[in-house]
Amino acid sequence: MISFALIIITSLFFMGIIIRTKSIASGRKGPGIFQPMKDVIRLWKKDAVYSKTTSFVFQIAPSIYFASVLMAILVIPFGQYKGIISFEGDFVFFAYVLALGKFFSIISAMDTGSSFEGIGASREALYSMLAEPAFFILMGSFALFTGHTSFHDIFISLHFGSYISYALGVLATFILIMIAMIENSRMPIDDPKTHLELTMIHEVMILDNSGFDLGLILFATNLKFAMYGALIANFFIANFQMYLTIPIFFAVQIIFAVIVGILESFSARFRMNHNAQFIFTLTSVALMIFFGVLMVIGKFI
Amino acid sequence: MINVLLITFAMTLIYLSIANRMGSYIKILVFQGLLLFGVSFIELKEINILNLIFILFETIVFKTIAVPLLLNYIIRRNRITREVEPFLPNFISLIIVTFIIIVTFLLSNIIEDPHLNKIYFVVAFSSLFTGLYIIITRKKIITHVMGFLVIENGVFILSLAVGNEMPMLVNTGILLDLFVSVLVLGIFVNKIGDVLKDVDVEQLQNLKD
Amino acid sequence: MIAISLLIVAISILLIPFLNVKWKGIVTLLTVILIAVIGGIISVKALLGDKIEFILKGTFVTGEIPIRIDGLSGWFILLINFTMITGALYGLQYMRSYREQSSNITLHCIAYLGIQSALTIICVVQNAIVFLFAWEIMALSSFFLIIFEHYKQDCIKAGVNYLIQAHVSMVFLYLGFIWVGTRMNSYDFRAITEFSTSFPPLTSLALFLCFFTAFAIKAGFVPFHTWLPYAHPAAPSHVSGIMSGVIIKIGIYGILRMILLIKTDYVLLGFIILFISVVSGIYGVMLAIVQHNLKKLLAYHSIENIGIIGIGIGLGTIGIGTNNFLLTTLGFAGAMLHVLNHSLFKSLLFYGSGNVYQSTHTMNIEHLGGLAKRMPHTSVLFLVAALAICGLPPFNGFASEFLIYFGLFKGMNHGNLFSTLSLLSSVFGLVLIGGLALLCFTKAFGVVFLGSPQHSFSHQPSEANTAKLIPMYLVMGLIVAIGLFPIFFLHWLSEPLKLFKDKLSVATETMPPVSDIAYTMQYIGWCAMGFISLAGIIFFTRKQITKQKPESFATTWGCGYVGNTAKMQYTANSFIRTYRKLAKPFLSIHKKEVLIKSIFPEKSSYETHPQDKMEELLIDIPIKQMKYFFGKFRFLQNGNPQFYILYGFIFITLVIGLPFLYGAIISLMKFLNQL
Repeated sequence: MISFALIIITSLFFMGIIIRTKSIASGRKGPGIFQPMKDVIRLWKKDAVYSKTTSFVFQIAPSIYFASVLMAILVIPFGQYKGIISFEGDFVFFAYVLALGKFFSIISAMDTGSSFEGIGASREALYSMLAEPAFFILMGSFALFTGHTSFHDIFISLHFGSYISYALGVLATFILIMIAMIENSRMPIDDPKTHLELTMIHEVMILDNSGFDLGLILFATNLKFAMYGALIANFFIANFQMYLTIPIFFAVQIIFAVIVGILESFSARFRMNHNAQFIFTLTSVALMIFFGVLMVIGKFI
Repeated sequence: MINVLLITFAMTLIYLSIANRMGSYIKILVFQGLLLFGVSFIELKEINILNLIFILFETIVFKTIAVPLLLNYIIRRNRITREVEPFLPNFISLIIVTFIIIVTFLLSNIIEDPHLNKIYFVVAFSSLFTGLYIIITRKKIITHVMGFLVIENGVFILSLAVGNEMPMLVNTGILLDLFVSVLVLGIFVNKIGDVLKDVDVEQLQNLKD
Repeated sequence: MIAISLLIVAISILLIPFLNVKWKGIVTLLTVILIAVIGGIISVKALLGDKIEFILKGTFVTGEIPIRIDGLSGWFILLINFTMITGALYGLQYMRSYREQSSNITLHCIAYLGIQSALTIICVVQNAIVFLFAWEIMALSSFFLIIFEHYKQDCIKAGVNYLIQAHVSMVFLYLGFIWVGTRMNSYDFRAITEFSTSFPPLTSLALFLCFFTAFAIKAGFVPFHTWLPYAHPAAPSHVSGIMSGVIIKIGIYGILRMILLIKTDYVLLGFIILFISVVSGIYGVMLAIVQHNLKKLLAYHSIENIGIIGIGIGLGTIGIGTNNFLLTTLGFAGAMLHVLNHSLFKSLLFYGSGNVYQSTHTMNIEHLGGLAKRMPHTSVLFLVAALAICGLPPFNGFASEFLIYFGLFKGMNHGNLFSTLSLLSSVFGLVLIGGLALLCFTKAFGVVFLGSPQHSFSHQPSEANTAKLIPMYLVMGLIVAIGLFPIFFLHWLSEPLKLFKDKLSVATETMPPVSDIAYTMQYIGWCAMGFISLAGIIFFTRKQITKQKPESFATTWGCGYVGNTAKMQYTANSFIRTYRKLAKPFLSIHKKEVLIKSIFPEKSSYETHPQDKMEELLIDIPIKQMKYFFGKFRFLQNGNPQFYILYGFIFITLVIGLPFLYGAIISLMKFLNQL
């Protein structure tokens, strides 16, 4: 319950921090940190224009996409406190419920019969397919490390003992950040600020969404960022008291947002045909983590 | 700590498989040299001062500074294009290198020698095979030299694995081998650059009788 | 009871040829339902723990025929008969357009009844000879079902391909049963158990692999899968539905039965099954993505799902081998639940593709598009089935895949390095399968049902009639029910699972986790319900808010271009282009392209023909070489009858002469030795 509330609160300003960081890095003053949320609210009040080609799928898809992100957030724990949904193997549910949302966002892009949105849909499907093994191998390594199979149990019994486990923690954080960037279609994979439809992934999929639906999709993106931030924060707030964990939580979220902003200001997007191999590298790195875990628990050596 | 360094070393191999510029190859080699220095420094801290200096000399001076500079010089002098130009797409290379690491990992499980630290074995062999793989699948001669250097790094790790009493002789051998190969290949590349104006391996096929 | 049902089948088979076309279908349907009800009663009893076992006298040839119906048989009979009923209901409507081919329909109905009784008999009978007899009936009747449209060249080819491979599978079955039969002098299945206990584990492993090959051909494990992608597109849609839904599952039944019967080195066996399954799963879905024929795409997906089931079985077998109660339960429960689930959603997908075929008369997905507006019911049904087959949460596919995932993650903690690593690679395989399935079904659903039509048909495609939709909604109901109440179906599995648990030596000490599983499954059901209601609430809110606002419609945004964009929309081929480039080394795609060369637009074209690389390597190339080798002897067949008689003469001379020659050589040798 706490995690849910905190993630919702974070999602209100997360995107704002990214935008603010980017504007400061480029020497502008930039909008206030609540501006993205104000945009969403403005969109919720607007009328919508629908494409003539679309069918019922286009109407239901944004709602289901939003619901899937909310459902995934419910699974995330907060320190010692369980998420609202918590059972053994809940990270499988987490990944699959997000995949459901992705399914709908892809077919709603296909529904418009556009010559551009298919490009984005195709890329989204492929990249998420390539990124998913990394997440599962990562969670599998931690399941092996702790002997538990739910988010809450894994995080609560994750205690770092030796150098190697610190290294594993750093690597895991790196992988999670990269997965978050892929899932949210941000910089090294996709450039949200690009102007050419041919080079977009996520932005091109929602070209035809407008009004309330667009607002839902944008808010879902903010939520997704905050969700991955919370997941990363869970690595650091294991067993502290409440008055410590909440500041740490927000600190991690803010640092995460600033890192995203800096990354977007100073790096260029990969060429599209290099994306696949980069994403798959994450799986290889996750495999290294798995080997590291095998060494820590003494199955190897 | 050594384990961490060695795992990082394995990760540089993965990165090597998807890097597509000469510059990144050289940077990876520099980084590997630093990692090797770290590993050998921790491993050999109780050995006499001479050996320590020797290790320092070998890893830092040669692997990290001299050889990369030389490679850089060759690339600039011969105006070699900065792309690596592999025969296979990088995605496949990535899968194959990952596969190499997994296979060596399984292979190492068969060995039951208590004296041998298995993680050394895994990293050494995977860098050996990765080096061979890079030599096989890249077009340019200069990448052959780099592949050879990766193999050499693997051999270095393996020699560390044998134990603390690293024989001076092995070290000298490695150093000499490295030096001669880089020198020979450097001259080789320079000469070929003068004669053929192109540094693809394919040109070498014309030399057969 | 069995006598009664056999009698009914016999009567209706005799009756069908003399009936009016209209009544043929109805009589078949009634018979199917009647048999299903009888089978259902027996199997429900078996599933409740009331095992039925009796021995028929049999004849001189067969010996005694033991009939044993335990939980495993019960589960399979139940799911076979359900799909048979929906298949018959759907087929009744589907066949309307073929009404004028009266005699053909007669054969079809008889074959349909034949296959149902054969499948049921296979599940209950435990005598090798009767089993083989039923197996043959099944193979033949499915052959007749496939070649319904026998006037098409492809159809006959596919049918013959199937028939040959079915008999290759029979050869392995004969081999296995004869091996056991000669050693144990009995054709009872119990003899197999005795055989495996009295010989070393390696021998019984060989026996198992012999049976496994036979059943794997039927189930479609890679590399024995090559008949599937030909047979499914050729058959009428309801037949494809039952073939993919239940006929290939009888192979799974065989494998499970053999695991119960044969005692061997289970750990090794488990790893073998796991490896083959992961390969099947990934290879199947990789090829499914590049297919352009909707039914062929679904056929390759069956291979993938067989792979998932196989992962479950492999996991369970490892569980038996390591005496791990949890793994056994999770593995076999996941596998058996997935058998049921796959039979549901795959038959639904095939029925959906049947609707599409009958309203557009094409299966090439590049010609379809925009059907969601013309066929709303079919597209909703297809969407649900597509979501379920991808294993996405509120539906049934998730429940079974979750069990397998859970087992794999739990299993990692036990065992040595090798087992941990192979379980990890199975997780990797399963995730990859899930991601690729998502790519595949977004392509299939998106291109077929969404966007604008890519081809103008002479008459507009229209929604299928209600009678066709009823069985489909029935299947969909069950799909949703399993997704929402997985625990209920898991309870029904407890009896079949008990059979596998009995194979463990110490079972009692690790009992508790099962209640954990039950709790988890219940939780998943709640989550599914919660998700549906959450999505409902959000959608309702959206509706309330947007109600007052005017909705306006415009053309799709084309970066300023407002002309006709139907030709410009993304096609199936372009949707998967990036994937195809990545996966190039594993695929074999024949490309034909005419590119624009000059600066002015001219006619250009681009075609791809996906082939099966494994099939090329394992079947096409050996056949080519064999043809080449035997082609050397073509001079013998010169068409001159005198020569043929000469061959006969030579043959007879050789047969008679050889012993003499042999004797002569022997005596010569003796003579030489004496020297």
